[in-house]
Amino acid sequence: MTETFGGLTQEVVSGIALGCIYALIALGFTLIYKATEVVNFAQGELMMVGAYVNFFFVSALLEVPLLNGVWAFIIALVGAVAFAVLFGAFLDLIINRPLKDEPVFSVIMATISLAIILRAVMAVIAGPMTRIPPSPFGSSVITFGGVAISTLDMFIILSAVVLVMVFYFFFNRTKWGIAMKATSEDPMAAHLVGIPVKKVYRNVWIFSMVVATIGGVLLAPRTLLDTHMGFLGLKAFPAAVLGGFGSIPGAIVGGVIMGVIETVSMGTLSFHFPWVKEINDIIVWIVLIAVLMIRPAGILGHEEVDRV
Amino acid sequence: MKIRNIILLTLLVALFLGCAGREPTPGVTDSEILIGNIQDLSGPMKELGMALPHGSNLYFNYINGKGGIHGRKIKMVIEDHQYNPQKAVAAAKKLVEQNQVFCFYQVIGTSPCEALRPTLEEYEIPLIAPATQSGTMSDRSRRGWKYIFHTDTGYDKQANILVDYAYEQNGDAKVGVIYQDDDYGANVLKGIAEAEERHGITVQKEAYQRGATDFAGQVMNLLKGGTTHVIIGGVVREPIIVMKTAAAMSYAPQFLGISPTMDHRVVLGAGKEGEGFIVANFAQLYNSDAEGAKLYRELFENSGTDPKVMGMYNFYGFMTAMVLVEGLERAGKRLTRARLIRAMEGFKNWDGMGVFPGISYGPSDRAGTESVVLVANRGGTQQIISDWIE
Amino acid sequence: MKSRYADENLSWIAPLVLLVIAIPFLIRGVTFSYRYYLYVLNIAGIYTILAVGLDILSGYTGLISLGHAGFFAIGAYTSAVLVDQAGIPFGLSLIITPIITGFFGLVVGFPALRVSGMYLGLTTMGFGFIARRLIIALRAWTEGSAGLEVSNPVLFGFEFASDWANYFLIFTFVVAVVVVARRVMNSKIGRAFMAIRDSERAAEAAGVNLTRYKLLAFFMSAVLAGLAGVLFAHTMRFISTDHFDILLSIYFIIMILVGGVGSIYGAVLGSVFIVLLDFLLIPAFKDWMALFVAIEVADIQSLIFGLIMFLFIIFQPMGLYGVWLKMRIYWKLFPFNPKKRFT
Repeated sequence: MTETFGGLTQEVVSGIALGCIYALIALGFTLIYKATEVVNFAQGELMMVGAYVNFFFVSALLEVPLLNGVWAFIIALVGAVAFAVLFGAFLDLIINRPLKDEPVFSVIMATISLAIILRAVMAVIAGPMTRIPPSPFGSSVITFGGVAISTLDMFIILSAVVLVMVFYFFFNRTKWGIAMKATSEDPMAAHLVGIPVKKVYRNVWIFSMVVATIGGVLLAPRTLLDTHMGFLGLKAFPAAVLGGFGSIPGAIVGGVIMGVIETVSMGTLSFHFPWVKEINDIIVWIVLIAVLMIRPAGILGHEEVDRV
Repeated sequence: MKIRNIILLTLLVALFLGCAGREPTPGVTDSEILIGNIQDLSGPMKELGMALPHGSNLYFNYINGKGGIHGRKIKMVIEDHQYNPQKAVAAAKKLVEQNQVFCFYQVIGTSPCEALRPTLEEYEIPLIAPATQSGTMSDRSRRGWKYIFHTDTGYDKQANILVDYAYEQNGDAKVGVIYQDDDYGANVLKGIAEAEERHGITVQKEAYQRGATDFAGQVMNLLKGGTTHVIIGGVVREPIIVMKTAAAMSYAPQFLGISPTMDHRVVLGAGKEGEGFIVANFAQLYNSDAEGAKLYRELFENSGTDPKVMGMYNFYGFMTAMVLVEGLERAGKRLTRARLIRAMEGFKNWDGMGVFPGISYGPSDRAGTESVVLVANRGGTQQIISDWIE
Repeated sequence: MKSRYADENLSWIAPLVLLVIAIPFLIRGVTFSYRYYLYVLNIAGIYTILAVGLDILSGYTGLISLGHAGFFAIGAYTSAVLVDQAGIPFGLSLIITPIITGFFGLVVGFPALRVSGMYLGLTTMGFGFIARRLIIALRAWTEGSAGLEVSNPVLFGFEFASDWANYFLIFTFVVAVVVVARRVMNSKIGRAFMAIRDSERAAEAAGVNLTRYKLLAFFMSAVLAGLAGVLFAHTMRFISTDHFDILLSIYFIIMILVGGVGSIYGAVLGSVFIVLLDFLLIPAFKDWMALFVAIEVADIQSLIFGLIMFLFIIFQPMGLYGVWLKMRIYWKLFPFNPKKRFT
């Protein structure tokens, strides 16, 4: 009995770490959706781009003599984030600007094509080989009470929590955040009261790209680096929706629920009930559909009032 | 406007007339043999889509440099199927009808190869050395079996041998398997089921989805089930993460791998957690002393390619190229598709400069090798630790 | 009495049907590789049927579906099992299977009564995954993920065994589906669908029964996807779960978007355009490029595909049908066309 319980604790802890990865991607979805009502199908690919850029920086910097390993990672991260800022602004320029008066459907399709392009371009630049990115934490593991968690996973959880808190604070307490909220409610009215709507949109894409980069940097040592990494974005979709699309704390709530359900169903549940194995890759979807039937806008989402 | 129309029209006509001039045997001229390869260049297996044909071309270029086969040089055309069966069929039709290839070679992936069966039958065109180790490729109850010459030992056979190995090591072994829940895993499970019946045991089975990045649940279950030997049916990423996860939980069974986990990057990526990992392989290692492997290393170094490409997958392309070239050689000067099939059927324990355990085909036998060697990771290098095991 | 279609120019439909019949003969006349072109056209035809169905659901009724590959897969596998294992003739399966798939459409439609927008998109996406899983789990009939060989279609004792025969089988259905779908979309049902898309509240106020019409849209869409699935399974002769993944669902969405949302001809144009682009033009372009530069870059094909899609959506967000409409206006006004109005 204790052994079963011990296993369960371990699975929950691993599930939380996995869930925080989903949360980081879901946060990117949420930011863009919140301000522009666009579902960014390329979010996973943005993460992949960020991870690759960071990887290039790290491999280049590790070659430099006199540079301590830890500093190489820190500088690379700063470099990748700087790139993310520029790239986010660029994406706003090529996607959001030209399509601002078009239906949301068109923008969604633009993001689908963007995903295809980014995957292909990255494969051209980096070659088709799977890369093994170095991790600043090596493979060190922290164990307490029989439950093991890698240092990397600790960092993933930590950064997801911190980022969600930062953005939550930002949207609810700062002038810029409130301006962004207002823009998403009604861009026209926001424009009339003097909010620079274009800048708001640009910032949203930049934020989203930065979050994606941080997610990618943390995820890459865990999963190895290849251009198909972006498909994880599809798994973060149900996380974002479960929490409530457009709700920032919802991203982490949804992500963690998804992650824990996934590991526990693959672990303890399928150990005791073999038929669970047949459904453990769709169990998150079943949960999602069930939740949406009860709360059509997700756990922390608000139902939109439809004005005639 | 008018000029643009004319250009468009010309382009269209050119497109339709893309294949003028038919010859008695398509793809064979006095100076050239054209072969078609359908690879995954942009799908989930795109890494292999680069490594395999590169290895094959090393050998083709070597043969071409020596004057070719009966005076004909080999040229390989590659199409992309993105691991989509329908694209594979479209690409095959394009290769046969537009490029006029002589035969197919090394089409990658089980489901694309299975999807090709009606096309192979339709055009009576052989497919040599499909790049999948699924045992179904040499299954004679399937459509078009006559045209497929499978070189590798099936996943089912490999899984069988690995279970046997576990019991040889430890009479009380408890075996578990982590398999990919797709056609690859289905074939592994088929072998496991046979082994279960033979030994009168049950093997603990844990599934994962293609593209999974977290294996905590499965490893935890294997730990709880008390398994001492774990067979990993993954590719590159899965064995690395599984072994690392297990090490983090201080769980240390003997890990065994099916041949796709053979790549040396598993050894690199897993680091010290991968020590002692044993993989079944159906051929000699690229760094072994076999004549073929020596030739491979020499050609590779002369080619000036990125040394990272060198490895089992690249060597696999090289090895199967030897099979094709041998078949074309045996088919003789007057090359036709039927002659190639007859020549391939004449293979008897052919070992390709020592890299294969002996490939045999026959009029009703399409399975090339039937045995494996075990390769262990010892201190970061892969070493062969057994003889050929049937 | 003035007919409902009086304001529409129908005279070009007959030549179009003749063209559809003539195309394979034309292709066979000019090239030896006609089977390759026909194979690609057959895929285009099958996807057209499905895209028309998706357009009814997403374009006309405004209910987004990211799981149409699921209906497609259910249709394909159901027919394969019915014909090859239960021994039902192909002709009967052509009727039964779409109805079975239609009922799956109703089941998926129920959530649609409660959720909307992206939440619905995600629910249907989940359905796509669940359908795929269901097929794998029923491995006693479907052989799981290993894929299933399927027999040739046999109708009235005639076996369709070549791409040539399949072309006529498939395009008979394509023409029938397009004609019927256009009629239905111009009827009371179609207007109810569009009313729902434009405003649910207004539609309800005007007396449209939301539940009934939303479910009907799902049913019709799934029936067409099921029909496409039947044709797909028996003409491709090998089906595998590798094919029916989420990317295929997204591919279908791309088709109707490129064609122009909310028009049947748009769906036809979009699916034919995308399939020809992906299966025919890009490989041909790649071969042509290879004459001048050595291409070792692997992803060039998907890069071109992505770029074309992207530029298309930036410069022609109305879709192909929109381009066609603009062109028509341009020619109608020909000598007096106002410059710079239709850019």
